[in-house]
Amino acid sequence: MGDKRMHKIPGHNDIKWDDKNSDKFRGDIKETGIGFMGYDFDSATEQFKVFLHYDQLYYWKYGEVSKLGKGFVEGEFWGTQCPKCGDKFFPPRVNCWRLDCNLERSDWIKLSETGIVHTFTIAGWSGKSSLKRHPFVLAYVIVDGCNTSIANEIRNIEPWDPEFGMPVKVVWKPKAERQGTVTDWWFEPADGWKAGPMTPEKERMKKLCQPVIEWVQTMK
Amino acid sequence: MHDHLGLVGLPHVRIENGGNTGGSALYGAFLAVKSGLFDCVGVYGWETMDNVTQSQGSEFIALASDTRYEALAGGIYPIYYAAMAYKFMKENNLTEEDFAMAAIKNRNYAADNEKSQFYRSDYNNPKSPYYKKTLTVEDVMESRLISYPLKRLDCCLMSRGGAFTLVTSEEWAKKHAAGNYVEIAGAGLSSCTIRAGDRIDYPGWNEKYGKGYPDMTEFAACRHSGEVAYDMAGIEYKNAAKEIDVAEVHDAFSSSETQIYKALHWCDKDNIQEFVREKRTFLDGDVPTNIGGGLMGYGHPVGATGIMSTLETMYHLNDTAPKKHLSSKTYVKDADTGLVNSHAGTGTSISNFILRRP
Repeated sequence: MGDKRMHKIPGHNDIKWDDKNSDKFRGDIKETGIGFMGYDFDSATEQFKVFLHYDQLYYWKYGEVSKLGKGFVEGEFWGTQCPKCGDKFFPPRVNCWRLDCNLERSDWIKLSETGIVHTFTIAGWSGKSSLKRHPFVLAYVIVDGCNTSIANEIRNIEPWDPEFGMPVKVVWKPKAERQGTVTDWWFEPADGWKAGPMTPEKERMKKLCQPVIEWVQTMK
Repeated sequence: MHDHLGLVGLPHVRIENGGNTGGSALYGAFLAVKSGLFDCVGVYGWETMDNVTQSQGSEFIALASDTRYEALAGGIYPIYYAAMAYKFMKENNLTEEDFAMAAIKNRNYAADNEKSQFYRSDYNNPKSPYYKKTLTVEDVMESRLISYPLKRLDCCLMSRGGAFTLVTSEEWAKKHAAGNYVEIAGAGLSSCTIRAGDRIDYPGWNEKYGKGYPDMTEFAACRHSGEVAYDMAGIEYKNAAKEIDVAEVHDAFSSSETQIYKALHWCDKDNIQEFVREKRTFLDGDVPTNIGGGLMGYGHPVGATGIMSTLETMYHLNDTAPKKHLSSKTYVKDADTGLVNSHAGTGTSISNFILRRP
């Protein structure tokens, strides 16, 4: 099969997509493509503008890391490991990042669903699709001793309580709601972890969160 | 743009590199002229971010990050930067107030320039809480939480804007812009990982800068491209803050400006706290930085920003700052060496340039 470092790419006709779920979470979103929705005119300055709306279902293929997406749907955590140097990756890398390993193809390994918080922040502002979730904690977590860290939310915690180095566990959405993406799971404090006492810094964080909490409550 | 400027037929290259678009385009023009193939290259950039709301805009910008594993989790740039800034703050014994120094510095300098966005939207706007106000650290501390430790006034603006510069051979400049041009004495461009989370043990950086560098606290691509530019310009790293007379750096966040001080060797872990608190990057300090207002004060029209920073540095080296700012207060007199920094992603692509008065 030639160079073992290459990604395997099935032929177009070899893929049947026998487990189709492309419309499963669509709701009432309709694809309209590009459309002209209206216009505004300012008579004083003679400025004219046109409103457009564009919407399009599209996909990205996981390709060689498809096992990751399927694993999320099944509630399994898959990373990769270089057989030469032993570096572990989550999210997975297909080829080792160490130049001395000469792009060695990594092996799939099942990871424990535990991790350590490397750093974190309390988000009080975000993209339109996330505004109502505020304030939430976004953390970079080193899962199962990997050489990389991954960002995701820590839930079931007061926003001011996370700590550097705290242990966390993975919690899954119900299976029927899983989409094969990182939004299928989140982190929560590991069993037995207890938040430390309030400190001046935590009081400061709590104070900063209050207006955000009140603002979110005013949203429809 | 070629079409509407009447330049059809000229060679053209589109460079799209996030926040480092301007710096990358300048770098491309530098290569083109340095190669000897061209003696005059126009570099222009622009952005029209006010076509959408701020939260929509934030989400669009986040599409330039890792959409597979990060943007989906609700991350946008201020959140990624905040997670990095918080760890940097802790590990370097800094506080929110230390970050706020850059925020008030850049905005207060922008208030001296009626073309800047802060001047137009806030300083000269009776409806703004910051109308005719010299900002203080308390103003930053009291502004709304964006992502801890960053508040609203720690973050850059979203802007509509454009910028243009010419990169030419020395002969061309002497002939057409005598007394007005500046020299590009050093140029560096470096890439880094798309995800900040991949920087805690990256083999290439481990080998170059030691195990675990840059972690999730520093910008290795800034340090590396800065060192390349310093080497080219003959600046010793330890003397950088002394040799550079004026700088414009990518203050997308007050924290990132502070992180950049360290990545560019202006200070180290042991003295960064005093470096910040002694106001060494203010007008009267060793290395006046973002005197033009930077991204927090002047504006951040992403595709134009690196070029804006280049021009703002140039204004001091060719003594046009008083004319351009319509004020002499934000003018670094007798500046001979300038630094320009342009920065993309979470530090994913960064360029640095040394400009000199010829």
